Amino acid sequence: MSEIILREEFGDVAVLHIASTSVDAISAAAIATECQEMRPITVLDFSEVSFINSAGISALLKFVVSARKSGYKLFAMNVSPHHQKIFKMVEMSRFMPLIEAHDLAAYRPC
Amino acid sequence: MPVDGRPYNVEEVRMERVELNIPSNPVFERVVRASAAEVGNAIGFSEARVEDLKLAISEAVNNAIDHGNRREAGKLVAVVFEIDGEKLEIRISDQGEGIERLDTSRRVVDEQSLESGQLRGFGMYLISELVDDLEVSSSHRGTMLTLRLYRREEP
Repeated sequence: MSEIILREEFGDVAVLHIASTSVDAISAAAIATECQEMRPITVLDFSEVSFINSAGISALLKFVVSARKSGYKLFAMNVSPHHQKIFKMVEMSRFMPLIEAHDLAAYRPC
Repeated sequence: MPVDGRPYNVEEVRMERVELNIPSNPVFERVVRASAAEVGNAIGFSEARVEDLKLAISEAVNNAIDHGNRREAGKLVAVVFEIDGEKLEIRISDQGEGIERLDTSRRVVDEQSLESGQLRGFGMYLISELVDDLEVSSSHRGTMLTLRLYRREEP
C-alpha cells in the first residue's frame, strides 16, 4: 500500500482517497501503481486534491484502462469545479463519471 | 489569496516583472506554479482564473523540462511574469534544440486512445484552452512559449 493513496474497501467497493494535494508529474507514478488493485466498483476520492495537470490525467487514465479491461466501474468523488471543467474539456468525465458519497451508502456494511 | 492570507491591493501592482530560472527537474515546476498563484492573486485574478493560470504554466514548464531540455542537468527553464495593468504575460523558455511546431489541436480521451495506450499529449491543448493568447517561437537555441491572460469578470 502506498502512502499517496489511502484505501477503503467494503464489499465490491474500493474507495481510493488520494492523499496528495497535487496529481502531477511528481506524484503520478505512485498514484498509477494503485490501478493494479481495483475492485468491481472503484471510486477515486479527490477531496484532498487541489491540482491536476496532464501528467496527472495520464495517471488517472491508467485507472480507466484497467477498469475497462476488468469490466469494473470507475467513479470520481469530491472533484472541485475547476477539475470538473478540466475533466469535461478532455472528456474524461465520459469514462470516470462523478459519484456522491451518499450514493455509496447502500454498499457500506450496517 | 496570498500565502499570508492578507489580500493584495491590486492598485499596488501595475507594471511589474518577476523572473525565475529553474533546473530541468519536475520538482521545480511546483515552485513556478506556486509563484504563478501569487502573481495571479497580485493582479487580482479570480480564484478560477488563478487555477487556469497554474495549469497552463504547469503544462508549459513541464513541456520545457521534458521535451525542450530533455531533463538535462545544467539546462535551465526561464520563466518571466510581466504584469501590465490588467494583462499578465508569461514567457517560458527552454535551452533545447527547438521544435518545428507545437500541436494545440483538440485532444480528448476516446476509446481508440484508451485501447492503444496513448494516454498523454493533453498539455498543449489545455494551454490553448485556458489562456487568452498563446505564441510559440523556436530556433536551434530553444523554444519560448508566450502566454497572455487578462483579468476579467467571471460569467
